[in-house]
Amino acid sequence: MKVRMTILWLVVGIPLAWGVAKTLQNALKLFQ
Amino acid sequence: MAARIPDQSSESLGGSGFLDRQHTIASRDYNRFLVPPAALAVHLSIGQAYAFSTFNLPLTKLLGVSQSAPGDWKLAQVGWIFSIGILFLGASAAVFGHWVERVGPRRAMFTAALCFGGGFFVSAVGIHLHQIWLLYLGYGVLGGCGLGIGYISPVSTLIKWFPDRPGMATGMAIMGFGGGALIAAPLSLLLMEHFKSAASNGVLETFVAMGAIYLLFIMIGALVVRIPPADWKPAGWTAPTQPKKLVTSAHVDVDTAWRTPQFWLLWGVLCMNVTAGIGVLGQASPMIQEMFSGRVSPAGAAGFVGLLSLFNMGGRFFWASISDYIGRKNTYFVFFLLGIVLYAAVPTIGRLGSVSLFVAAFVVILSMYGGGFATIPAYLRDMFGTMHVGAIHGRLLTAWSAAGVLGPVLVNYIRQFQIDSGVPKAQAYSVTMYIMCGMLFIGFLCNAAIRAVEERHHYREAMQGSQTG
Repeated sequence: MKVRMTILWLVVGIPLAWGVAKTLQNALKLFQ
Repeated sequence: MAARIPDQSSESLGGSGFLDRQHTIASRDYNRFLVPPAALAVHLSIGQAYAFSTFNLPLTKLLGVSQSAPGDWKLAQVGWIFSIGILFLGASAAVFGHWVERVGPRRAMFTAALCFGGGFFVSAVGIHLHQIWLLYLGYGVLGGCGLGIGYISPVSTLIKWFPDRPGMATGMAIMGFGGGALIAAPLSLLLMEHFKSAASNGVLETFVAMGAIYLLFIMIGALVVRIPPADWKPAGWTAPTQPKKLVTSAHVDVDTAWRTPQFWLLWGVLCMNVTAGIGVLGQASPMIQEMFSGRVSPAGAAGFVGLLSLFNMGGRFFWASISDYIGRKNTYFVFFLLGIVLYAAVPTIGRLGSVSLFVAAFVVILSMYGGGFATIPAYLRDMFGTMHVGAIHGRLLTAWSAAGVLGPVLVNYIRQFQIDSGVPKAQAYSVTMYIMCGMLFIGFLCNAAIRAVEERHHYREAMQGSQTG
C-alpha cells in the first residue's frame, strides 16, 4: 500500500512540480 | 495517519459493475491518503481550461501556419470555445450534481475522462476539417461537461474521508484545478513546438496528444478512488461533543438546500469573492504595464500573471486548511476585510510607484480568490451536511459562471469609460478598485448574515439516523 501511495503521489507531484518550476522561471522576469 | 476501515462484511458488494458505487467501497487496508492524489489527477487535468488561451493565436493560423490567412478563424470566433466550455462547466455541475452523488466518484470520474478527453478528440476533427462548430461542440459542450462533472466528482468523497480536516482535503483537490494551468500552459507550447512542420502549426496533433494524456490521467484517478463505508471514521477520531453553531450533524437534501436563504447567501459570498479576483486575473498583464508604464516589460507582465497563478493555486490549499482551525465564516471574513483593505490601497500604491508593493497586494488578493473556491465545499458541508454536498456544490458553482461574466465586464468597461473620459491610463483602474471594495463589502454582509439551517429543512431519515446512531 505504501509503494502504491508513493507512486501515485509521484504521478501527480512530478507534473505539478514541473509546472510550478516553469511558472517560477517566467515569474522571475518580473524582477529582472 | 493511515485510516483503518472497519470490517465491511455486511456491505453488499455483489452484482455490481466495476464502475458502480458499491464496487468502490474501500477495503480494510485502504489508506485514505490515496484519495487526494486520485482527486488531484482529475483536477490537474481539467485545470487545463485556465490555460486554453495558449491555443487562441495558433487556432487563428491553421491555414496560414506562420500567420493568419484569408479563411482562417478570427480571434473573436476562437474566444467562444473557452466561454462555451466555462458555461457548460457551471451548467453540468448544477445539472449532474445529484447524479454524481448517486452513482459515486468512479463512474463520475470515468464519465469526466470520456467527456474531457473526447472533447479534445472531437475538436481535433474540427481542426482537421476546419469546422469551428466542432470545436464549440467538442471542447465547449463535451469538454465543458467533463469540466463540470470532473470538478465536483471527488468533493463529497474527500469530505467523507476527512471529517477531521474537510477544508484541507478539498483544498488539496481544488488546488489541482489551479495547478492544472501551470502544467498545461508549458505543455501545450512544448507539444505545439514538437509537432510543428512546414504544413502544420502543430495544434491538431497537440489536441490529440492532450486528449489522450488527460483521458489516461483522469482514468488513473477513477481507478484509485474509493468511498468509505457508511459508518467509517478516521482511527482515533471522534466527532466533537460540543457542536459548533454553524456545523450541523444533520443533512439537507439538495432540492431543499437551494431553497434556503443560506444557499443564496453562500452563492453571494462565492460570487462576490470570485468577481473581485477574476476581473483582475484577466487584466493583470495590461494593468501592471499601464500602471507602471515603462518600468514593467511584456515579459515581466507575463511573469506577474504566472506569479498570480501560483498564489491562486497555493491559496487554495493554504486558506482551505486554515479554515479547519478558524472556521469557514471567519475565513471568508478575512477574505473580505483584507481584500477591501488591499484593493483600496492599490491606487495609492500605484501613485507611490512601488511595483513590489503592487505585486505583494495582488498575490495576496489572488490567494484569497483561490481560497474562496477551495473553502466553499467545506462551508457547504458545515451548513448542509455530507449527504448531498457534491450536488449542492454543483449548483453553487453557477455563482462562478455569473462572476465570470461580471468580473471582466466590470474591469474592462469601467477602465474603458475612464480612458474615454480623459483619465490617464495609469489611473484608469482606481475606480474599478473601489468598486471591487464595494463588491467585497456585499460579500462581507452576505457572510455576516449566514446562520445555521433551520431544523425543519433537515432530511428526516438522516435526522432519525443521527438520533438513533
